[in-house]
Amino acid sequence: MSQDPQWGRRGKDGPPDLDEIIRQFTNKLKQFFGGKPGRPADAGPNPPHDGRAMAGGIGAVLGVVAVLWAASGFYVVDAREEAVVLRFGRYVQTTDPGLHWHMPWPIEQREIVKMSEVRSVEVGFQGSTKNRLPDESLMLTQDQNIIDMQLEVQYDIKDAKAFVFNNVADGDARDIVKQAAETSIREIVGRNKVDFVLNEGRGQVAADATRLIQNLLDSYGAGIRISRININDVQPPEEVQAAFADAVKAGQDKVKQTNDGTAYSNDVVPKARGNAARLLQEAEGYKRRVIAEAEGNASRFSQVVAEYSKAPQVTRDRMYLDTMQEIMSNSSKVLVDQKAGSGNLLYLPLDKLMQLSGPGPATAEIPAGGETPAVRLKSEAANRGDREGR
Amino acid sequence: MNRLVSAVVIVLLGLLVLSMSVFTVDQRQSAMVFQLGEVVRVVKEPGIKFKVPLLQSVRYFDRRILTMDAESPERFNTIEKKNVLVDSYVKWQVIDVEQYYKSVGGNERTASARLRKTVNDVLRAEFGKQTVQDVISGKRDEVMEIVGQVADADARKIGVHIVDVRLKRVDFPDDISNAVYERMISERKTVASQLRSEGSAEAEKIRADADRQREIIIADAFNKAQQLKGEGDGKAASIYGAAYGQNPEFYAFYRSLEAYKKTFKSKSDVMVLEPSSAFFKYMKDPRAK
Repeated sequence: MSQDPQWGRRGKDGPPDLDEIIRQFTNKLKQFFGGKPGRPADAGPNPPHDGRAMAGGIGAVLGVVAVLWAASGFYVVDAREEAVVLRFGRYVQTTDPGLHWHMPWPIEQREIVKMSEVRSVEVGFQGSTKNRLPDESLMLTQDQNIIDMQLEVQYDIKDAKAFVFNNVADGDARDIVKQAAETSIREIVGRNKVDFVLNEGRGQVAADATRLIQNLLDSYGAGIRISRININDVQPPEEVQAAFADAVKAGQDKVKQTNDGTAYSNDVVPKARGNAARLLQEAEGYKRRVIAEAEGNASRFSQVVAEYSKAPQVTRDRMYLDTMQEIMSNSSKVLVDQKAGSGNLLYLPLDKLMQLSGPGPATAEIPAGGETPAVRLKSEAANRGDREGR
Repeated sequence: MNRLVSAVVIVLLGLLVLSMSVFTVDQRQSAMVFQLGEVVRVVKEPGIKFKVPLLQSVRYFDRRILTMDAESPERFNTIEKKNVLVDSYVKWQVIDVEQYYKSVGGNERTASARLRKTVNDVLRAEFGKQTVQDVISGKRDEVMEIVGQVADADARKIGVHIVDVRLKRVDFPDDISNAVYERMISERKTVASQLRSEGSAEAEKIRADADRQREIIIADAFNKAQQLKGEGDGKAASIYGAAYGQNPEFYAFYRSLEAYKKTFKSKSDVMVLEPSSAFFKYMKDPRAK
């Protein structure tokens, strides 16, 4: 990003000014050796008097050597890099991306550090997650359970100077990061309970570990920034996985059982409500019916009574006769003379009567005084004079 | 020509002397200047330095933080006599170059071995005072802090500062691990069976509640239904009472006729009659009175 303007600036006054650079360089040299004549640069022009051609030849050679030497001070820093410049071993500056020049060896040296290149360290596995390293991945939780965790720590470099000077490390400081990661993750896991780490706490564990590793690295002045921690895998150790899986399944079973119960409830209760509604409706219907019937009957009776009271005897007789007529015309009759029946047993072929009366509408008249006494007749002086025979 | 050669010789000689009297100290190093075996001065500042040629010699020491990482975990006992395997690393730095040189000859390996011994002793002592619980979680920080301080005090005797002591791993040995696994399994079994019985209890509760609701709903409805029917019956009774009360005698007659009609209405109803009954009054005697 900052590359373009710098390149631009270099483009303007860089390449044409090689002489200028060499002049600057000789001045710097003079400063360094405190007024002592800079040998390599001054050697050429100094002895001009004898053997001009020879001296000129040597001078030219020295000049070319000097130019090549000076040119060895150019270096390019990529956008993702920074360079640390040392002058006689002492840190001078850190340079940003772009084309730079430092005084050539042995005066100044540069160390280029790849800053934003993301490096990563694996804890608990090597290369592939299938390739686990139990020694690293198994760790103790607060409640003294063992879990199996694999993580990957990604980091880059935030301070080139600190990174280069403060710690003895391999090229990418992998060992430093790995050590810090191992101690931190175990400390964090050791502070939490197994269920938390296995379930809802993954993100929290990663965040805590990131913070802790960063603190450690800062305390070592490592110049490293932890950009991300991926917890690739966290699970119970193989030996206990079946039991953990079963416990998870038990949780599902619980939910299922509860759901079954709810399903039953959802079936039974509405049905009961339905039945209840039916009962109520039926009762309501019954009530209405009974009342309506009563009103109807009552009204009918009331009207008859009203007429009855005008002519009681006639109405009474009429009603009696109407009724008797209806009854008589609708049912089978046997007329038995009282004298013939009295004291004797009278036999009536009742079953025949039934057969006859069943299909046919004809009225069977059985003569009184038959020889077959079957039914004992009881005469009763009923108030209306009709009888029931059976 | 001669002058040119001698000039070149002088220049070369000069460079030689210069290279012998100049030395550079890197940012990452400290240097010690010896004069015939005796330490003359310690250079901590990086940069270009001078010394007396031939007479003086220079030795360099790394001043960065070094790491001592144990190859294999050590076995320590906690206060409850439980064995734990502890893997740790130590970050250290040379601070007193002269002392460091005198004590361990400036040899990093020797220094490492010495520090390892110190740190292990302190760790052993500290672990002996703590429970497993503490070293795993509770006082882990504290333990590391104390070990760091105590070890640092000792390390200063050899010119070394202990920057940090960290417990990387605190684990149980295999046999205890197996016992832990068994306990974990039994814990999970407990959890599983608890969950399952909770589930069936919950389900039973819900079912029982549903049954209760059903009973109550039906009973309430029955109650209301009977009330309604009763109301209807009562109303009907009062209507009948009011109507029939106008003429009870006639009601008996009227109602009886109704009953007769209802009772005898099919041919299978056989009546055995006496001609003397009132109905046949005129049958016997047209002039009957």
